[in-house]
Amino acid sequence: MAGSGVPSWEEVARNHGRFLYTVAYRLTGNHDDAQDLVQEVLLRVRKGLETYRPGSLEGWLSRITTNTFLDETRRRRRRPVDPLPDEPDRVVPPAPGADVAAASEGLPDDVQDALRRLPPEYRAAVVMCDVVGLSYQEISQSLDVPVGTVRSRIHRGRALLRQALA
Amino acid sequence: MTEPRRFGDSPFGGGMHLGDALSGLLDGELAPSQQDAARAHLVGCPTCAEELRAVGQARDWVRALPPVEPPFGFYERAMREGRRGAFATGPSLRRRAGLAALGAAAAAVTVLGVGSPRPNPASPAVPRLVEAHATSASVGADLLSKLAPVAVPVSFGR
Repeated sequence: MAGSGVPSWEEVARNHGRFLYTVAYRLTGNHDDAQDLVQEVLLRVRKGLETYRPGSLEGWLSRITTNTFLDETRRRRRRPVDPLPDEPDRVVPPAPGADVAAASEGLPDDVQDALRRLPPEYRAAVVMCDVVGLSYQEISQSLDVPVGTVRSRIHRGRALLRQALA
Repeated sequence: MTEPRRFGDSPFGGGMHLGDALSGLLDGELAPSQQDAARAHLVGCPTCAEELRAVGQARDWVRALPPVEPPFGFYERAMREGRRGAFATGPSLRRRAGLAALGAAAAAVTVLGVGSPRPNPASPAVPRLVEAHATSASVGADLLSKLAPVAVPVSFGR
């Protein structure tokens, strides 16, 4: 840890490497993109581009990772493939009778694949909540959106995941 | 006449259901009074009860996902490259790793004598070749530091 309290990128890699990689992989859905994302995060940490406030180091890392991911996603959105639904009610409910989960449901690869298919903003909110374990307030501050938006994205993301895995 | 309290837009149709408040309930993000009202609503609303079960299942699945290990040597390469200040201008680490693998393979081919003008099939013995290959493969990681920086932007996504 540097004198200013800002973690060095070496410390991040050494002590939080698996955590950082897990978040990057859950967001991107594949190892190639996860490696590029982690590399970009380490660069930002190394250059001191992100303000660090003493507290949850992993919360700070997940904020950088998620915002870097969303920045890149928006940059690429010139050719939109997963637009956010304009109307909430257009999100399709799970199939009737889906209450009996098949034994194969919830397998990590299937869940990761369904996660990868979520709109990026939903995916980011779900990952920050259910992978990182941040509160709605922390996610709101990280993504700079209202708490109500966070709650909505998490809920719709989960509904779409459940639909995809039904 | 009493109507169900509206907490938010429901993704499952209708505006008089709990909607995203269900996830707030699951995550402990509702105020106590809202929790009470939500639970009271759930008692008489099978639609919301079903939605709660569905999103709760998705929540459990994501939370059960295991940690993901980075590829072997990834952070070692990252730290080595970072010390050289190569992040900003060099190819991404995975591309460098691919180049290093190619370099190691080329070195192994050379060791094995493929293309050599005067190959000697009897010597060295196979175990020595295996050992030499392993050595060259491990040295191959050091090839990273010998690669000339190439301006390839870091990117991800397809």
